[in-house]
Amino acid sequence: MKAFKTLKEKYANELTLACIFIAVFIILGILAPDKFLTAYNLGSMMSQMPELGLLSLGMMAAILTGGMNLSICYIASLSGIFAAYVLSSDFAATNVGIGIAAAIGAAMLIAVITGLINGGVIAYIGVAAMLVTLGTMTLFQGIATNITQGGAISGFPEEFMALGGGNVFGIPVPMLIYIGAIIAAYLLLERSAWGSRVYMTGCNETAARFSGVNTKATVLKVYIFSSVMAAIGGLIMISRYNSARVDYGSSYLMMSISAVVLGGTSIMGGHGSVIGTVIAVGIIQIVTTGLNVLGINRYLIDIIIGAILIGVLAIRFLSRRLSDRNLVKARAAKVGAQ
Amino acid sequence: MVKSLVKKREFTIFMIVVVIAVVIAISNSVFLRPDNIIDVLKSNSVIGIMALGMLPVLISGGIDVSVSSTIALCAVISGKLLTISGANLFVVLIVSIAVGAAVGLANGLIISKLKISPIVATLGTMSIVLGAVLYWTNGEWITNLPEDFKSFGTATVAGIPIQVIIFIALIAVTALILKYTLVGRGVYAIGGSTSSAVRVGYNVDKIQTLIYVFTGMTVGLAAVVHTSIVQQVDPNTFTGLEMDVIACVVIGGASTMGGSGSVTGTVLGVLLMAIMKNGLILARIPTYWQDIVVGLIIVFAVSIDVLNRNREQEKLVRVDVEE
Repeated sequence: MKAFKTLKEKYANELTLACIFIAVFIILGILAPDKFLTAYNLGSMMSQMPELGLLSLGMMAAILTGGMNLSICYIASLSGIFAAYVLSSDFAATNVGIGIAAAIGAAMLIAVITGLINGGVIAYIGVAAMLVTLGTMTLFQGIATNITQGGAISGFPEEFMALGGGNVFGIPVPMLIYIGAIIAAYLLLERSAWGSRVYMTGCNETAARFSGVNTKATVLKVYIFSSVMAAIGGLIMISRYNSARVDYGSSYLMMSISAVVLGGTSIMGGHGSVIGTVIAVGIIQIVTTGLNVLGINRYLIDIIIGAILIGVLAIRFLSRRLSDRNLVKARAAKVGAQ
Repeated sequence: MVKSLVKKREFTIFMIVVVIAVVIAISNSVFLRPDNIIDVLKSNSVIGIMALGMLPVLISGGIDVSVSSTIALCAVISGKLLTISGANLFVVLIVSIAVGAAVGLANGLIISKLKISPIVATLGTMSIVLGAVLYWTNGEWITNLPEDFKSFGTATVAGIPIQVIIFIALIAVTALILKYTLVGRGVYAIGGSTSSAVRVGYNVDKIQTLIYVFTGMTVGLAAVVHTSIVQQVDPNTFTGLEMDVIACVVIGGASTMGGSGSVTGTVLGVLLMAIMKNGLILARIPTYWQDIVVGLIIVFAVSIDVLNRNREQEKLVRVDVEE
């Protein structure tokens, strides 16, 4: 019983989020059982969620260190565009297997390079993450537009479609990739030595440095991790759209920050869990798709997402203040009794 | 005297502006022609006005990403007022500024009373306000503005467009507020250290709210100025504008950590971005390159600034040790 109680306390935020998720799911299921609960709708939700989810995991790592990665969407589209270049070449058309492997390699190479640029300037020069990624956001967007000349790259081998649209045992492939990424993110951030260093750096960078943590190397790796997550998202995106463009995924920036914050990660850094982010991504996905299915105007959905974000944080703040007050009262009563 | 001037952060930006201006002027004779300079100033007055509004927010350690949505809301409301009821220009101006102030008040209260961090709070209002604007207008343009408003848009005083005069007036107002009022000094105090500001006796919640109201008001003003330049309202045209505005202020030496930033720096930041873009256009460099150059400038400008500060800090430490 006691173990259950500590578990409940430790995962209070995740439990609340899970309850919200289930509640929203049930409400939408009751409101539109014939539209929301169809295999087609559930399937399409499962193949859309990974993109937002992967970007949110990448964003979360940056926010955990007290930083921010505004360039994440253009990292996704830039690596997607490089992969698309390889895929649409004559070589890939004849050597499909090697072509796809080379495309994935190209995307990962771009991820590492962009991560090194962001992380290098942030960690080793010491510029605020928000400013650096604001600049690199414009920079990566510019490079991507320059390569594509504003158009789309298409003409990929048939086999590459499986990445974004295939099924294994009825589960969409993007979902399987996403689950793999969730496990990897959990192991790296919450179970590895590097992960502890990330949390320590986010809590108090000076204290972490004086405790012998190489904060610079830690932060550098965070931005590489962030870029790699974005690049995987980018690969799924170009496969799902069967083409690559600069503006694919640009709408995910604000959504991914919302998901991370909704999931309980502190914007100041040092606190947050992978599971919280994953559930928050789920909530945002079913709210968007669900309301869409109900025929509610797209713009109204934006309003609702914004209201949820502020509402949840307001409730979190007010309940914390209430519990603080009760604590003070209880202590005062104790002192008075003595 | 000269030494202290050279040491100022604004001086670095000023030198960069001068160097770039000289390079562009040498390579293209059009750049220094009065009509080109006036054109550049006029078309950048909107960003300039919004940058002045963003400055106090960044000094206080906050950020406001909702300005692009708020300007869309204000522009649509001004446009509707002008076409439907043919309202007087001053009424439109006051309504637009009031609407901006209302959004700013909402931001300020959420941030100061609910203690939600500025980036998240303004992200939320950004999504709410833009959603509301697009739901209301369906993204439709407002054209056929009345003739007297169009003539206001092309009005000049002593050859200088009215928009530039509004920008210059706002520079003076912002500088006076930040330098000589209690609230203005409070903005710097909060950015330096919020807890110290509380101990000194500043009403931090009130000042923080006022900062965002001020930003909202400048956005309302910018909406009317923008409409007067382009003579139509497109609710979708402002997407991403918040990043341009923040970039100008940041290049001008304001740090997102708060505590630093000046009106001079911000104006120089706006000028730097403006002549940079104009130079690229005059040199007939494809627009695709613009983003790359602008992105590189942002990264370099903020990096050089931090490197300079670190070096100075090291020097200070050394002096401490040697004494």
